[in-house]
Amino acid sequence: MNRTFAFSLRNLKELLREPLSYIFCLGFPLVMLVVMTMINDSIPKEAHMTIFRIDNLSGGIAVFGLTFLMLFVCLTVSKDRSGAFLMRLYATPMTSGNFILGYIMPTLLLAVVQMIVTFIVSLIIAQIKGIELGIGGLLLSIVTLVPTVIIFISLGLLFGTLFNDKAAPGICSVIISLASFLGGIWFDVDGVGGALKKICDILPFVHSVKTARLTTALQFNDFFTHFIITIVYAVAITALSIIVFKNKMKADLG
Amino acid sequence: MFAVETKKLIKKYKEKTAVNGINLSINSGEIYALLGVNGAGKTTTIRMLTCLSTPTDGECFVYGKNCRLQADEVKKIVGISPQDTAVAENLTVYENLEFVCGIYGYSNEKTKEFCGRMIKLFSLEEYKKSRAKTLSGGWKRKLSIAMALIGQPKVLFLDEPTLGLDVLARRELWGVIEKLKGETTIVLTTHYMEEAEQLSDRIGIMIDGELKAEGTLQELEKLFVRIAEKEGKR
Repeated sequence: MNRTFAFSLRNLKELLREPLSYIFCLGFPLVMLVVMTMINDSIPKEAHMTIFRIDNLSGGIAVFGLTFLMLFVCLTVSKDRSGAFLMRLYATPMTSGNFILGYIMPTLLLAVVQMIVTFIVSLIIAQIKGIELGIGGLLLSIVTLVPTVIIFISLGLLFGTLFNDKAAPGICSVIISLASFLGGIWFDVDGVGGALKKICDILPFVHSVKTARLTTALQFNDFFTHFIITIVYAVAITALSIIVFKNKMKADLG
Repeated sequence: MFAVETKKLIKKYKEKTAVNGINLSINSGEIYALLGVNGAGKTTTIRMLTCLSTPTDGECFVYGKNCRLQADEVKKIVGISPQDTAVAENLTVYENLEFVCGIYGYSNEKTKEFCGRMIKLFSLEEYKKSRAKTLSGGWKRKLSIAMALIGQPKVLFLDEPTLGLDVLARRELWGVIEKLKGETTIVLTTHYMEEAEQLSDRIGIMIDGELKAEGTLQELEKLFVRIAEKEGKR
């Protein structure tokens, strides 16, 4: 446990001391909250478009912010691998479990902080706009989004293991774009229908966004289907990333 | 018992044989230099001895523990400072040392004691609050070696410790390595003859994965004279 804690602490410091992580993980999602609220104000009421209203937007932006954590996990892992840092640690009594948990734990903590900040700003916007947004639903969202956090951290671990520090950011950018577009953060997937909706439904992102939106609204009729899908994806992607990391470690030591 | 011993150690990567049947016997407390050009097999040998690579054939031992079969035991008694400076760039010098103490599960008191000892030994006081990424190559290398010593290794492996350093930084680092003499067994790789001469008790010369000659500086000089005389007679 000591080794995992020591490695987690190192990773937490690395993440906190990277200025870009503040810009992308906190700044960018908050800017999007404000910008989308402004766009919402410009949409005529007759359009009946509520996707950018703060009660819908807050959950989507929370998921959008989490995608950037994937990028930073990926960068940390790929940089560690491309230098000799992991090599040095391989020669110590550290196990693959210590490494994997050491990458996951600090990012989980940062994800919670990121969601809290996003929801506080959402509450302020809701207050200003006179829209009802319950604190209970937002707090519960932090819990129901844990599988989504795990999905993005595991994807970061997976891509960081498979790709070097030059290729990894590009791959993550594609996933960030896919997650925000196919997750239905910026448009109503149900309203589009057809093949696009089918693709969105197959991927986990739309279920993450719906989990967040339904929890913040405290509507639990369809909630469990989406929530369970995110749990299944979280388990599968985590298992895959652990297998890939362990195999890569074995290959490095071959 | 030898500190380090290899028996017909072989490492092959597909068609290429990186290390070809070397036999090494390094005594406890000795500084042993593996001298050779790039691609001679020095780093591969060190990788096998630190359990970072599995031998294709043959065996290697550290204080009698088999690197292939008792890797966990071997990892507890070896330290390595890799060729690329392996430090956490965004952590300070002190935090890097503290981090390695955590990896070895040291208590708070022991961590303070060891970090303090390393900072003193490597004259890192001035830089202890500086982030590793701001250090020069020489200081980074010192930190890297200090980190390798935190685990109190019985055998310390230094892979090209002065590669890329200027003359002054190199000489300063030699001074540090000389200070460690007798405290721990040191196996270092280098392609500088001068470095091997200055630091080591014995030198092993590797060419194309094979250990071509081995001995003290004086023994090797005599050997080279004999070879030169033989070639001169032809």
